[in-house]
Parts: sequence; structure tokens; C-alpha cells
Amino acid sequence: MNTQIDTAIKRTRAYWFVDGFTEITMGGMFIVLAGALFITRNTSQTPFLSWFLSVTGEIIVLKVLSFVLVVLALWWLKDNFTYPRTGFVRNQISVPQIFIIFRNVILFLLLPITILLIASLFITSTDNVLATMPVWFPIGLGLVWTALVVLAGEWMGLLRFRFIGVVTLLTGIAVGIWQSTLGLPNIPANAESTIFQSLLLESIDRTIYSLGLILVIFGITLLASGLATFMRYRNENPTPYSEDV
Amino acid sequence: MKNLSELDRVIHEPARLTLVALLSSVKSADFLFLLKESQLTKGNLSVHLSRLEEAGYVEAEKTFRGKIPHTEYCLTAKGKSAFDLYRKNLGSIFNKKKA
Repeated sequence: MNTQIDTAIKRTRAYWFVDGFTEITMGGMFIVLAGALFITRNTSQTPFLSWFLSVTGEIIVLKVLSFVLVVLALWWLKDNFTYPRTGFVRNQISVPQIFIIFRNVILFLLLPITILLIASLFITSTDNVLATMPVWFPIGLGLVWTALVVLAGEWMGLLRFRFIGVVTLLTGIAVGIWQSTLGLPNIPANAESTIFQSLLLESIDRTIYSLGLILVIFGITLLASGLATFMRYRNENPTPYSEDV
Repeated sequence: MKNLSELDRVIHEPARLTLVALLSSVKSADFLFLLKESQLTKGNLSVHLSRLEEAGYVEAEKTFRGKIPHTEYCLTAKGKSAFDLYRKNLGSIFNKKKA
């Protein structure tokens, strides 16, 4: 009986993902962000600091804008498609709870990367940590995102999130291995600042490229999963609910 | 046997238990959502929701979405604690049987 109660609770929690719209819009957002990363790669000879600040600024603005667009699109889609078919649910999230969730997500994202960084410092020098960033960053990010996706899936009882998690993990590992096969920038000890900076720039550029690749594949996976969910939802609920049915 | 008799009879009925479980993890849900998820008929759902309202476990809020009437239901604090107690009692019955 308790298992059935848990199933009912999980089905309600998963209502936000019942129609696939959330995955479709979020997947689209990740693909747009990846496109922005590829476009803003430092192909010109712009000084590192100004390039880095402009990229960070552009990404933040784009992230906020695309997030607002995603929320508006979701609001419209749910209001016009989902609620007339399978009803409306108001979630139990208050403003303080949003801050707690946000804090936990930040902690969850930063903690593994910090641990990886500290562990690397004990094994190798700082220069090697920076040089190997194109390898460890995608693998670490893949691990963190997989954990997040799988945990969210278990909380809502959504089995397809396990598949998304596995794809994300494999993508992270594959990108990391691919970057290591390309060879890593070798930062010599006592290197001149200009040489050091150009090697560092190469490492950061390749890391951004890796991040872009992970974002694209994560976005495509979300999009595919969302479309499949939407097709199933539309087949199960072809028309809005009517009193006469 | 004493534990079994302590179970809340309002919640113990399977249809009402489903409704309370559905409402326990959200702030509120509308009639259509509960109808689809519980797979009850409209009449049955209305009766069970009325029973839960009478017990003070559920509150209904009637609004309009455009020109269409819209009723949202939420679990009251009394309903939440009754549901938690029900789950606790149910769990203890099975644990005692295992022991």
C-alpha cells in the first residue's frame, strides 16, 4: 500500500514533465548556449582578460534571456495544451524554498569540481591542472550532471532520466578521452608569461569547446526525450477534456 | 488488532487515499487533474472530495479561468497531519507483523 502511495506522490511531482515541454524547451536552451560558446571562442588575437570578461558577460546575459524565454514559452504551452487536457497543478514551492534549492544546486555543482581541483593539486602542479583541464573538466561535469539528472529522475519516478543520465556520463567521458588523444598543452616550468598565457588560452579554449560539445549532446538528448514524451502524451490525450466524453 | 482500528477511516478508503496522496506533494490541483490521475468517475470524485472536505482534510477554491469555472483543491494542515499519521500507523502495523 505504501508503495502505491509513493507512486501517486511521484506521479504528481513528475507532472511538470508529463508532456515533454520542459525537456524540449530546456534542450533548446542548452543548444542555443552551446552555439553561443562556439561563436564566442577566442579565434581573434583579443587580449585574454578582455575576451574572457566579454564571453562571461555575453553568456550570463544570454542565459538569463533564454531562461526567461523558456519560462514564457512553457507557461503558454502548458496553459494552452496541457491544462485543458490533463488539468492544472500548483507546485509547493515558496520563495524561501527556491533560494534553498538554488543554494543546494550551486553547492552540488561546485563541490565535485572543487574536490577534483584540490585532489589534482596534491598529485600534480597547478600548471598541470590547468593544462589537463580539457580532460578532467568534461568528465567531472558529466559526472555531476549525471548525478543531478538521475537523482531528479528517482525523486519523480521518471525512468527516462536514467537514460539521459547515462548519455550525459558517456558524453563527458568520451569528450575527455577525445581531448586527451589530441595531446595536451605542455606548460614548461619557468615559461615566459606570453608563452604561459598562450598555452593557458589554448587549454581554456579547448575546455570551452568541450563544454559546448557536452551542452549540444545534452540538449539534443533532452530534445529527443521531450519529443518522444510529447508524442506519447498527445496520443493519450488527443483533444482537450470535454464534459461530453 | 488495536493498531488496525486506529487507522483513519476517512483516509483508509482507497479512492480517498489516492486523492490525499496526490494532493500531499503539491500546493493544489484542479478537478481535472484529480479526475485523470485517480481514474474515478466525475460523480465518484465529487463524493469523495466532499467527504474529505467535511472531515476538514481538503479545501476547495472556486475561481474562473477566462469564462470557465475552475476548482482547485488543496490539503489542509489537518489533512497533512492525518495523512502522515496514517502512513506511520500503516507502517507500524506491517513492521509489527514482520517482527
